Amino acid sequence: MTKTLKALLAGAAMAAGMAAAGAAGADIKIGVLVPDSGPAGLFGPSARNSAMLAATQINAAGGINGEAIELVFADVGTPPAEAAQAALRLWKGEGVQGFVGMHDSAVREALVGRFNGKVPYVYTAVYEGNACAKGLYVTGETPSQQLAPVIPHLMRAEGVSKWYLIGHDYNWPRDTNALAKGYIAEAGGEVVGEEYVPFSVAEFDSSLQRIKNSGADAVLVTLVGGGSVGFNVSFAGFGLDRQAIRLGTLIEENTLAGIGAGNANRLFSASGYFASIDSDAAGSFAADYAAAYGADAPALNGLGQSTYEGLMLLAALGNKAGSMEVDAIEAVAEGTNYASPRGDNTLAGRHVAQTIYLADGSGGAFEVETAFPEVASTDGCED
Amino acid sequence: MSSVLVLNLVWQVGTLALIALGLAIVFGQLRIMNMAHGEFVMIGAYAPVITAALGLPGWLQLPVCVITVGAVALLIERTVIRHLYGRMFDSLLATWGISILLREAVELIFGRGYQSVAVPVPGTLYLLGADYPAYRVVVIAGIAAGFAALAWWNARSKVAGRIKAMVGNPDLARAIGINTGRLSAASFVFGCTTAGLAGLILAPTVRIEPMMGLDYLIRSFFALVVGGLGSLEGLGLGTAIIAGTQSLFGAALSQTHGYLAVLFISILFLWLKPNGIRSSSR
Repeated sequence: MTKTLKALLAGAAMAAGMAAAGAAGADIKIGVLVPDSGPAGLFGPSARNSAMLAATQINAAGGINGEAIELVFADVGTPPAEAAQAALRLWKGEGVQGFVGMHDSAVREALVGRFNGKVPYVYTAVYEGNACAKGLYVTGETPSQQLAPVIPHLMRAEGVSKWYLIGHDYNWPRDTNALAKGYIAEAGGEVVGEEYVPFSVAEFDSSLQRIKNSGADAVLVTLVGGGSVGFNVSFAGFGLDRQAIRLGTLIEENTLAGIGAGNANRLFSASGYFASIDSDAAGSFAADYAAAYGADAPALNGLGQSTYEGLMLLAALGNKAGSMEVDAIEAVAEGTNYASPRGDNTLAGRHVAQTIYLADGSGGAFEVETAFPEVASTDGCED
Repeated sequence: MSSVLVLNLVWQVGTLALIALGLAIVFGQLRIMNMAHGEFVMIGAYAPVITAALGLPGWLQLPVCVITVGAVALLIERTVIRHLYGRMFDSLLATWGISILLREAVELIFGRGYQSVAVPVPGTLYLLGADYPAYRVVVIAGIAAGFAALAWWNARSKVAGRIKAMVGNPDLARAIGINTGRLSAASFVFGCTTAGLAGLILAPTVRIEPMMGLDYLIRSFFALVVGGLGSLEGLGLGTAIIAGTQSLFGAALSQTHGYLAVLFISILFLWLKPNGIRSSSR
């Protein structure tokens, strides 16, 4: 009984505190949806930190239409129905006027259905493309952006032509590979193998044997997370790094740390963001991040940093429209510009035309090798 | 069959036997359904991460692994497990809770991110007409030698018989002078420590993160279900069937087929031969 009472009192005190903070001038609440749990939970901390950094900078620059913004977070590392419930609580319960979400596609579909074009929503994760709905804007890289410039470049620069495609068995790898086949054929290469493995697989011996026998000199890796780590560790263990280069479209700093310096020889990654991008904007972002959260803060990576992009786009849209109403934003959204650590970005077909970086992970740290500016998505939207 | 396929098969069977050994002792002998088995593999795999974080030389990985895993196992045995001998279902629930606790503790100390461990023996060896990772060859030889020594010791030692007596009838075992408290604690700690050693040995070849233990628990259980509890032979047969099926089906068809086949065999055994191929007489 006493415990319940204490919890109630603590809750009431917290609510009072929050109300006070709200009254102190935060006029526009933004819901930030990040995974604190589940398979993508690894990216929760860096995503939260990046979002808070964005809010600080947006408010320092005058907020949205002169009003300060306040972030409200919810965990969406849950099944889609629960994630949609959590978002609904922020929207209807807390009066959130816009959302930024970094999560999987199943959660996005559930949210789009729930929001029904009534609240602006920026989706920031790397994904398979072709998500189109009123009020939905996407900053995340799509396969066409990550591969169209990168595959021909790698084939020329590294002198490779025989590709083996391996990914986890779900729609992102399959959609990515469907596009990749076109780019490979256009550049005069061939696909010598294609394979999808279930998430339950922890060892890749038989796949590696197939890659070896295929004579591939390039491997496109669309395995995610722990599977990617396990695959790449064994790949190098078998000495296959001498036979073939590897290109990943979701190998970020955490995954590379798990693969380890000794296993990352000739391992490339294509992404809109690396912590090591060599530009003033990226450098000052990394410095601000370190200053705000300390040297031991969760490592910066493309998925975590994407919430910063999402908030910057949402602020740019709100300022351009002069309102946070979806109809006002829809009228002006196309062509909206904003600058960020990733470079200069333009909204085109609800997706962001952005700089794509190709980085070499050999030696255990990404070195950005080439930047492809203003890459538009061909898997964006028509309207 | 290509030579690499044979070597892969030997590697899979050997490493699974090493991982399942600890479970065979704790579950097979002590009848403690240890759901935290994989977490001891995980803690063992973190030993090189601990030595690297403390700036200790590489040769200390083994003592750090044994001391860390042994200390955690002893602490858990003294506080929780010793109350649960003879209560298999209760031990399942308790160790499930412990497994969550251990994962969270490791996450708290090292974070949720992936760790990596450099291979102590890098490069590949040209063996039976194919390139094969040198480290794997060393590990396979080590596991073979280790199990040979264990079988030799097991055939001569009376410890296995004492454990059987203790589990079967603790009061009688005490009456004939077996210190059951010490024997059960020692068996539990020994079983968990072998799991930790398996983690240390596998660390350079797998992903390392707080959730990794879950991979190892299920396959170890399958191996024991098929092989039967209570003998080294059963352990060998069970791991050969489980790892062999996964490897062969995975190579011939796809990984999905391999996984399906393993599930199918395990279910068949649970249904038709629940005591496995070799079960100790009870």
